[in-house]
Amino acid sequence: MEKRAKGKGLSMNAVLMLAILSAAAAVLLCSMLVFLRTYRQSLYRSAQTNARRTISQAAGTVEEYLDDINKLMELLEQSLEEGETGRAEFFDTFLAIRPDVVAASTYDGTGRLVHCYSLTGSVRPGVTVNLSFDAGRMEDYRDGYVSAPHVVSLFEGYYPWVVTMIAPLDIPGEEAWVALDISCSNISSYINGIGIGQRGYCFLMDGRGDIVYHPQQQLLNYALKQEDSGYIAQLADGSHVAGSVIYTVQSLKNGAWRMVGVSYVDELISDSVNEAVRILIPSVLLILAASLIIGAVLSQTLSRPIHSLAEAMERFERDADSFVYTPVRGMAREARMLSESFGHMVQRIRQLVENARNEEINLRKTELKALQAQINPHFLYNTLDSISWMCEQGKNAEAVRMVNALAKLFRISISRGHELISIRSELQHAESYLQIQSYRYKNQFTYSFDVQEDCLDYLCNKITLQPIIENAIYHGINGLVDEGEIRVRVRTEGEDVLFTVEDNGSGMDQQQIQAIMSKDRSDHAGIGIKNVNDRLKIYFGSRYGITIDSRPDEGTRVTVRMPKVRQEAEYENR
Amino acid sequence: MKTVKRCFLLLLAAALLTGCAGRSTEEVRRKVYFVAKSMDTQFWQAAFAGANAAAAEYNVELTVLGPETEEDYQGQNEYIAQAVREGAQALVFSAISYEGNAAAVEQAAQSGLKVVIIDSDVASDSVSVRIGTDNIEAGHMAASAVLDTDSASITVGIVNYDLNSRNGQEREAGLRESLSADARVEGIYTINVLTTPQAAQEGAEKLLAEHPEINVILGLNEPLAVGAAMAVDALGLEGQVRMVGFDTNVKCIDLMQTGAVTALVVQNPYAMGYLGVEYAWKLTQGESFDANELVDTSTAVITKENMFTLESQRSLFPFL
Repeated sequence: MEKRAKGKGLSMNAVLMLAILSAAAAVLLCSMLVFLRTYRQSLYRSAQTNARRTISQAAGTVEEYLDDINKLMELLEQSLEEGETGRAEFFDTFLAIRPDVVAASTYDGTGRLVHCYSLTGSVRPGVTVNLSFDAGRMEDYRDGYVSAPHVVSLFEGYYPWVVTMIAPLDIPGEEAWVALDISCSNISSYINGIGIGQRGYCFLMDGRGDIVYHPQQQLLNYALKQEDSGYIAQLADGSHVAGSVIYTVQSLKNGAWRMVGVSYVDELISDSVNEAVRILIPSVLLILAASLIIGAVLSQTLSRPIHSLAEAMERFERDADSFVYTPVRGMAREARMLSESFGHMVQRIRQLVENARNEEINLRKTELKALQAQINPHFLYNTLDSISWMCEQGKNAEAVRMVNALAKLFRISISRGHELISIRSELQHAESYLQIQSYRYKNQFTYSFDVQEDCLDYLCNKITLQPIIENAIYHGINGLVDEGEIRVRVRTEGEDVLFTVEDNGSGMDQQQIQAIMSKDRSDHAGIGIKNVNDRLKIYFGSRYGITIDSRPDEGTRVTVRMPKVRQEAEYENR
Repeated sequence: MKTVKRCFLLLLAAALLTGCAGRSTEEVRRKVYFVAKSMDTQFWQAAFAGANAAAAEYNVELTVLGPETEEDYQGQNEYIAQAVREGAQALVFSAISYEGNAAAVEQAAQSGLKVVIIDSDVASDSVSVRIGTDNIEAGHMAASAVLDTDSASITVGIVNYDLNSRNGQEREAGLRESLSADARVEGIYTINVLTTPQAAQEGAEKLLAEHPEINVILGLNEPLAVGAAMAVDALGLEGQVRMVGFDTNVKCIDLMQTGAVTALVVQNPYAMGYLGVEYAWKLTQGESFDANELVDTSTAVITKENMFTLESQRSLFPFL
């Protein structure tokens, strides 16, 4: 549990951001694709509608023009059928008001040119080829005929492009024809002017797929441009998409010609789609930026408080004592609630820990006080026995010193209930004890004190030295044949005070040392070394306490380490 | 938070950039100058029609210029200088003088203009594209029209124009090459005249007077063909002297029907004008081409027999 799952997986912040961004991107992508698809389709439709409308208008205009010419033709037929009188004048007027009519000619039954009326040119002598009237095709002319555009080959120095209309004349008794050469310029300038989109155009073709008039005729002539007339010829009326080209076809009323519109998908549609994409991309980027902002705000309100809460918990876990709780800021109610609950929990845990520690100390104190209140009855009995023996022997002075020592022992033991007493008093206590014991053991041992003067006023736990000395006497000196020696030393080491009690007795092995350090006294009377050690640790912390250094047959040294304590209050209430 | 801010700024910048880029893709209208040899022959009229068609298709701002006479190469040089001055991006040019126009063309190329040569070449390495008739081949075609006869002996008179003009010299070279290979050809005489019908007619009449044995006469471009045909017509030599001309003119077509003109080698001026402007535009768009490889425009031989077929009608009579 020490190593956290830190670094593994993504932080909540990143997850939130990623989720929002990817959702936004996905939605945008989908809607953009759908939009572009629909947009493209509607553009296709509108391009086709547009082309159809343009072509139908163009076709209408050309039809109207042809109708107009047809009416002229009827007028001419009537006038020609009426007879010769005033014909020249009629034609002069007719040609003057219709400048688009280049020539009006009459032919006899053999196809010979009878008359040619024209304001712009005169018929050359010896016409070799007549492109306006082909005597071999008279059968085709019987129901009225409109030719493909051609050059008028009748005049000298004048070769206009025309369309020829031919109709039979209804003159009884003879076969005759009238042919009108109508300038192409009207139709061509009209068709040239029609544009579909930027590059689109329209042209006229006949039923067999031959081109009647094309605005880029010259380019077609020189193969600078190709028109797939075979393909277009088999198309029905309407709009047809072939690759990137839209062909729009409409038949004219005269049945012979078809108007074909050519427009380009790439310019009509691709350009608009590209334009739309150009407009869309910045807005998409803006929306993504906005979603980033939203993500940042969300993380501010949600993930950040949680993140700092998690951090606070980790800090608390690591070091509960010095942890300072600061409420987490954030807008989400849940985050605030979590933070508050955590705050309460921290307080509660602290309280519980504090309580547990206090209870432990109280328990020890009570235990100690109970122990302190007891005096080892054997010790008291033996001591009193010794005193009584001294009195019997008349060793009054010694008996008095003994009683005084006993009295001092008790007084310091009680110490008006204080736990901490001055080292001076503790040393007096130890000395009194040693005095009494040395009488009792009939001077089997000697003792000495070696105390650093500046230590005397520091405080220490009462009854610290006595159990150690007791142990030295019972386990070290007691079985010794030679005279024993107990040395008590007190000195400072940095901020600590060290007490050492050395004896030259029989010493202890490791097992015995452990037993002493871990067991309460088996007679349940008085205070043992373990008890002293526990108290030191409770009062001052784990680095303080007792260490025992001993070798069998060489002696024992017990060291007590405690801090320099100047006032009882410093540690009393911990 | 820092990375979020950075991402945000990046997106914003990208949005602004693409927004701006949308406006900067407007197409620039290219400025192209077309300097022709002259303004009013049928040949150049057709070339201008082609050039205008291409200008409309490629959205080019086209200016057409040409001197009064087809000898005025200095006038052409001034027009080239004018094109440079007025900031043209490309020049479509037909050189009157192979040598005399070279300096001006070099100058224009150094000023950054792309040079497209149509019809008639110039002595310069700065030309980007050459478009026109393969004139030597056109000379061969004219020669085969000359040789298409039953006569046992042929004497040829050539009315040619300025000696400095490249295409005229090439046509004559091709012609002479083919003619020399035929045993029936007994003599070839050339006269160089000013490029007008009158000068050509006078030249042809002079040639016919000096060498009465001439039974085929040629005019190597449109005005010269008209002049030579008029000479045949005026002298009443139809049937005795066959006439082969270049290019199409109403007068020649009239005279072809009377028999004064036997054949016409018809070039494709419309295509030259169209392709000239189209290539000029492509060059300004950054494309490049091999200037040593001629972009050949088609050439046809028209005789009385085929003159009124639909194809011939279309190439002889411009659909204006």
